[in-house]
Amino acid sequence: MLSIQNLEAKIDNKNILNGLNLNINPGEVHAIMGPNGSGKSTLANVLSGKNGYETKGQIKFNETDLNDLSTEERAQKGIFLAFQYPLEIPGVNTNIFLRTSLNAVRKAKGEKEIDTLTFLKLIKEKASELGIDEKFLSRQLNVGFSGGEKKKNEILQMKLLQPKLSILDETDSGLDIDALRIVADGVNSYKNKDNAFLIITHYQRLLDYIKPDFIHVLSNGKIAKTGGSELGIELEKTGYANIG
Amino acid sequence: MKQFYDFKVEKIKDLSPEDKNLRRENLDLFYKNGFPNKKEEDWKFSDLNSILSKNFDNITNKDFLLDSKKLNLINEFKHNHIYLLDGKLISSDFTHEDKNKISIIDFKYKNNVTIDKNNSLNLLNNALANGGFTLEISKNYKLNKPLIIYNYFSKNLKETIINNKNSIILNDNSELTLINYIDNKSKDNFMVNSMENIEIRRDALLKNIFINNSKSAGYFYKYIKSDLEKNSVFENYILSSGLKFNKLDIEINLNQEYAKSTVFSALNLLESEHQEIKTRINHNSQNCQSYQKIKNVLSDQSKGVYQGKIFVKKIAQKTDAYQLSKALILNDDAEFDAKPELEIYADDVKCSHGSTSGSIDLDSLHYLKSRGIPEKEAYKMLISGFLGETLEKLTEENVKLFLLKKLEGQINGN
Repeated sequence: MLSIQNLEAKIDNKNILNGLNLNINPGEVHAIMGPNGSGKSTLANVLSGKNGYETKGQIKFNETDLNDLSTEERAQKGIFLAFQYPLEIPGVNTNIFLRTSLNAVRKAKGEKEIDTLTFLKLIKEKASELGIDEKFLSRQLNVGFSGGEKKKNEILQMKLLQPKLSILDETDSGLDIDALRIVADGVNSYKNKDNAFLIITHYQRLLDYIKPDFIHVLSNGKIAKTGGSELGIELEKTGYANIG
Repeated sequence: MKQFYDFKVEKIKDLSPEDKNLRRENLDLFYKNGFPNKKEEDWKFSDLNSILSKNFDNITNKDFLLDSKKLNLINEFKHNHIYLLDGKLISSDFTHEDKNKISIIDFKYKNNVTIDKNNSLNLLNNALANGGFTLEISKNYKLNKPLIIYNYFSKNLKETIINNKNSIILNDNSELTLINYIDNKSKDNFMVNSMENIEIRRDALLKNIFINNSKSAGYFYKYIKSDLEKNSVFENYILSSGLKFNKLDIEINLNQEYAKSTVFSALNLLESEHQEIKTRINHNSQNCQSYQKIKNVLSDQSKGVYQGKIFVKKIAQKTDAYQLSKALILNDDAEFDAKPELEIYADDVKCSHGSTSGSIDLDSLHYLKSRGIPEKEAYKMLISGFLGETLEKLTEENVKLFLLKKLEGQINGN
């Protein structure tokens, strides 16, 4: 589904990614761990098509070269990034944002746009699965939401848009145990043989709930080690110091 | 500089000799100074004399009437209405109200507005006004539905000035939501010079909304003088985008304790549109509040101006005054000027002001795009969010939805 070969990324003339290789197949859950500054969030940003990075190397998503696609086209083709810091957007109503987003993705797929009533029914159902109070949906997007509410809102968007590849950038940070469980349940209930996850995290904690098939340790902009889910437990004990 | 105007009191019909004399005096005073220019502090960012001289050959006044037009009532929500054509009262309809509680009378020239001799447009208005209304709401009467004032203009206004004068009085504990609706698609140059006197008595509430429906090549100036009594509230919402030139000059006098005023403005200026919001909030009594939030989005070669002054008298202790101006400048050729001013003589007050300008937040744009929303649409969402936020405090949901829809139209350049 996703194939990254020899990816390099620079920002403000600083090398962040230095030849990263990664293959993700449908049905797989990959976790990327690594110390601060190792390039985890840069990888997420580059995959989402954020401006400002100078990149080299190849990223293919289902045989399409991602470098040719804008951020919105990537989203329309099924790449979803749950932001580490979801943005607060004053004046933009959450419901309207969600519907605009869903319809943009549907339109790109050649599907019919969804009408307001059907949408409201759908979003109500998805929100209640994640324990999101309906009143949040009529508020301004993320404005005044707590850290946990923002993260739940990201997962809500994921479940609404039904992406093929979901990248979760430190979705566990700022979550209490209950919120963490809800978010993890949200991910687990969406997981199936056709979609894949790339989970970026500092800690094993989230991986106790969402079991990865592979764990990669990122160090100095490259994958320094790859293992199964047991690697996370090992890292928890030994830290990142011995890797890379 | 060439003389680009020629005004005559004689063109106005049926004036008494005294009236004629008074008008002539005003006109003479106007002619001494002419239209305001940038040397005057109040006009330093909007040099009206220069703007008009470039866009008019010879402005004259007429005693119109009129090619009458059919009124197209908006159907988004039920409302009462007043129909003004070229500033003159044509009809009014208070279907939804107890008619005994509302008085509306046609313009009668009364010199009931204190004239600022330095404001030459007020002098000109005194000399030439030939239309308008006086609206009065009875004590304890709260209107069931909003009132829309439809401002229509006839076709042949090229090189013409319209002067009108309105008066709005809300007696004790009355309530009115007023929508000043300008609907004009003229491609001809004409000018509108309005004066409005607003009195809001004890415990009364006036919501004053300005919305412009379509693009117009008209040059608009409106001066509003408002006086607030104890515990009264005056809310203003300004969405006048689409006019070639517009200056709203609002004076709010918080004359008695616990009076409150707000000014929210959301302008999306395109092409060479030029709009100015000028406010002067006079805290003349203690425990009053004033709040101003002015938002501008500037594209193309447009120009936005905000001059906001808060004046706090010595006796106006416990004043709470706030003003904030935010501008998004989307093109290097666009311009925004802000001049916030505080003049405070009381020592126990809370006053703050701020002004920022910048461009669209790229991280926010990225966020929306990462959800599949095309860049152009994401841009518009951010702009309408930025501007629409000024309507948060408006409690009438149906009016708010209507305004948001109009705002979207303005952003789409309709």
